Amino acid sequence: MMQRLFAPLTLLLVMIFLIGPFLIIVAASFSAGDTLAFPPQGFSLKWIAKVFTVESFRQSFATSMVLAIGGTFAALVLGIPASYAMSRYPLPGAETVRFMVSMPIIVPGIIVGLALLRYFVIPLGMSITLALFVAHTALVLPYAVRVVSASLANLRSDMEEAAVLLGSSRLGAFFRVVLPNIRGGILSAFILGFVTSFNQVPVSLFLSGPGVRTLPIDMLGYMEIVFDPSIAALSSLLAFLSIGIVFAAERFLGFSRYV
Amino acid sequence: MKFKMVLASATALMLSMGVAQAQEKTLTISVYAFAQDEFKELVYDPFEAKCGCKLVVETGNSVERLAKMEANKANPVIDMAVVSMADALQASRAGLTDKVDTTKLTNFGKLYDIAKDPNGDGMSVGYTFYATSIVYRTDKMKVESWADLLKDDVVSHVAFPNVTTNQGPPALYMLGQALGNDTPDLKGPIEAIGAKKDEIVTFYVKSSQLVQLMQQEEIWAAPIGRFSWAPFAKLDLPLAWATPKEGQTGGMNVMVMTKGSKNQDLALEFMDFWLSTEVQTKLAEKLVDSPANAEVKVSDEVAGNITYGEETAKSLKLIPSATALDNRDAWLSEWNATVGQ
Amino acid sequence: MFQNRAEALALALPAALFAAIVFLVPVALLLSEGFRSAESWTISAYVDFFAEPLNRAVFLRTLKLGLIVTVAAAVIGYATAYAIVSLPPGTKGRMIGLVVLPLMISPVARTYAWIVILGRTGIVNQGLMLFGLTDEPLRILFTETAVFIGLLQLFLPLMVISLISALENLPKDAVPAARVLGANWFQVFWKVILPLTREGLVVGGTLVFTGSMTAYITPAILGGSKVLMLETLLYQQVTVANNFVSASVIAFILIIMSFAANILLRRIATARNKK
Repeated sequence: MMQRLFAPLTLLLVMIFLIGPFLIIVAASFSAGDTLAFPPQGFSLKWIAKVFTVESFRQSFATSMVLAIGGTFAALVLGIPASYAMSRYPLPGAETVRFMVSMPIIVPGIIVGLALLRYFVIPLGMSITLALFVAHTALVLPYAVRVVSASLANLRSDMEEAAVLLGSSRLGAFFRVVLPNIRGGILSAFILGFVTSFNQVPVSLFLSGPGVRTLPIDMLGYMEIVFDPSIAALSSLLAFLSIGIVFAAERFLGFSRYV
Repeated sequence: MKFKMVLASATALMLSMGVAQAQEKTLTISVYAFAQDEFKELVYDPFEAKCGCKLVVETGNSVERLAKMEANKANPVIDMAVVSMADALQASRAGLTDKVDTTKLTNFGKLYDIAKDPNGDGMSVGYTFYATSIVYRTDKMKVESWADLLKDDVVSHVAFPNVTTNQGPPALYMLGQALGNDTPDLKGPIEAIGAKKDEIVTFYVKSSQLVQLMQQEEIWAAPIGRFSWAPFAKLDLPLAWATPKEGQTGGMNVMVMTKGSKNQDLALEFMDFWLSTEVQTKLAEKLVDSPANAEVKVSDEVAGNITYGEETAKSLKLIPSATALDNRDAWLSEWNATVGQ
Repeated sequence: MFQNRAEALALALPAALFAAIVFLVPVALLLSEGFRSAESWTISAYVDFFAEPLNRAVFLRTLKLGLIVTVAAAVIGYATAYAIVSLPPGTKGRMIGLVVLPLMISPVARTYAWIVILGRTGIVNQGLMLFGLTDEPLRILFTETAVFIGLLQLFLPLMVISLISALENLPKDAVPAARVLGANWFQVFWKVILPLTREGLVVGGTLVFTGSMTAYITPAILGGSKVLMLETLLYQQVTVANNFVSASVIAFILIIMSFAANILLRRIATARNKK
């Protein structure tokens, strides 16, 4: 009896803890007052409306979208072959490669940003957009490799070996047998990478420059000056957008089977 | 479908990089993130129309932007910046700035004397100044002296600026005066704060957070700059701007020219425009920045909400930039050692 | 297993090269600043760093919070992940969605929500006073407790997701079988679940520990300068003091701690498995 109650109760408490702040943010988005408060003071749509009137939000939203999609895509293009090599081949120094690509998670973002700025972007005279793109690709790469490696590890390798034995080329076996089976893992990696890149603050803090900044940096800058519920409204809108994407992924691809 | 989306975004990325390089006659400025909507309407857009050029704006706080200027020293991306007085001196000592050729500024003669060359090195021009005092709940406490902040029944409802902010050192300086211990190393006031550090609610970094804390009744009082007063006035709480007997402190923000900028003439033109009576008046009327141009005339109501007039400006007890700069590291380590643990 | 080494290298090389050029070299150069003096290599910057009582205190606090958050996330994470995995597929998907949800919200906004919740007039204090647990509102904001709560909420989803994918791979009958054979829940966890889910725990634990130690926004906003952590100290050193040597020292310490955590977790997990 105790055990039967234990699981739902744990879930309930954990969900309150995880989702509670989100509900407060959503509630504050519809507040009529000038500050974040719970319960909110009255109801209005003025903060939601305000989000769309701030021009810098529109610009930085576009920048962040391009960076998150482009950076994650590039990271997967680099990461999938590497993960495959590490899980299926006796790769000399596989641990070294794994270690190298997972470094960006371990090194604090501020150091990554500063190091890139001082020893990569400036010496090469890179444009701000390109610098941000490269940095975000590097940041997403560890997630791409980890998640794809994990789903490759779950996929028994005898399937491809069988395909090869039956006359398929190795490349053919990869595209026809492996890729469809780790599709979920790739999608999970994409979503994880997208979210990581989209919410990234410390690296972008150093690499953003005149005219080009990501949305979180823009939000921080805005909040440094004005602290009104429009940031809550913007966060809610972004969250609902993400929920929409994940819901669609779940609906059409069965996201949760792979996570 | 997914592939198309990725392709589209990759194309967009390349396009945006291309566009950034294709622009002609661009002036890149670095400013405080504050009130950008108003600045865009009153300063940037009219200037772009006037000069037929493109203005690229970087925003952030003074120290962060300075750190970036330092990092980009060899190949400057910014043409002109507005920073605090002390940061301007630091930038010039670090060789990041050029002399401002004031003969090309037609509005230079109209400035208050204190704004003409705040650091006495010809490397900066003041465009606005502000008072720093205490915002407080009139129903909970009285503020007659800066030392009142540390009274036992009040101190656990006070937010004090961190030493790393523009407001920190001036507030400490005034506290030192109130405590009769005002050496430039700020040792006295830092020790006094350190003794009460557990009671003080927080040492704030972003003043915008204070409005939230005030509204939640987390705090009753905090030293702030006059430019952050407006949102407090809107709260439904009995709040007042203190006039302590030791006086008010404050600061000045200045314009500097980046060394090696290829657009110096355009940058000077922009500075001149910003200092003009017309622009400074508009900025004052919107309560954005208090004017440094002596010809600006505003209504009494506006004057009451900004830091207006030469008398006011002169009465502010400012820390000289050189003092601030020479002691900054010592303040930080003293602060970290006494307050930070 | 395929045997062609050249092929393997060709597949792995682009990622490795990219990471090396974009990442390893610049970071190595930056880290070397902490070991450089005018004429030779030295560790004096590290000696100086730990000679300062403040730095030692910040170091210990960071380590402590990182460990507590990781342990709390592992305990809560296992309970949550186990509960979710045993749900029917539809409900399970929705639950995973809810766990992932916080990851979709800007950490900036999430952190500010905690200011509302943990404040003197916030829900937590109202609840505590309602149930008579305290007469005066407790001060939670700008304490280590606030930073702990903020970090746990920020990183718990990563742990739960890592453990869910590990538990999914657990043979369906392993736990019931152990129970039938008379093992209690603690033994089941220690002898069956933990060894079989170690990869998930290592991934989740490393993500949580590293994330907690290197988070910037949460300690900056919820702790403020009263709860300095290594990352906030590092930022201060770079932007305020322009002290790149000190920043490089802190960065190196953080990296070492992350590695140590990773190795330690791996060791714990495999040690159990070998017996």
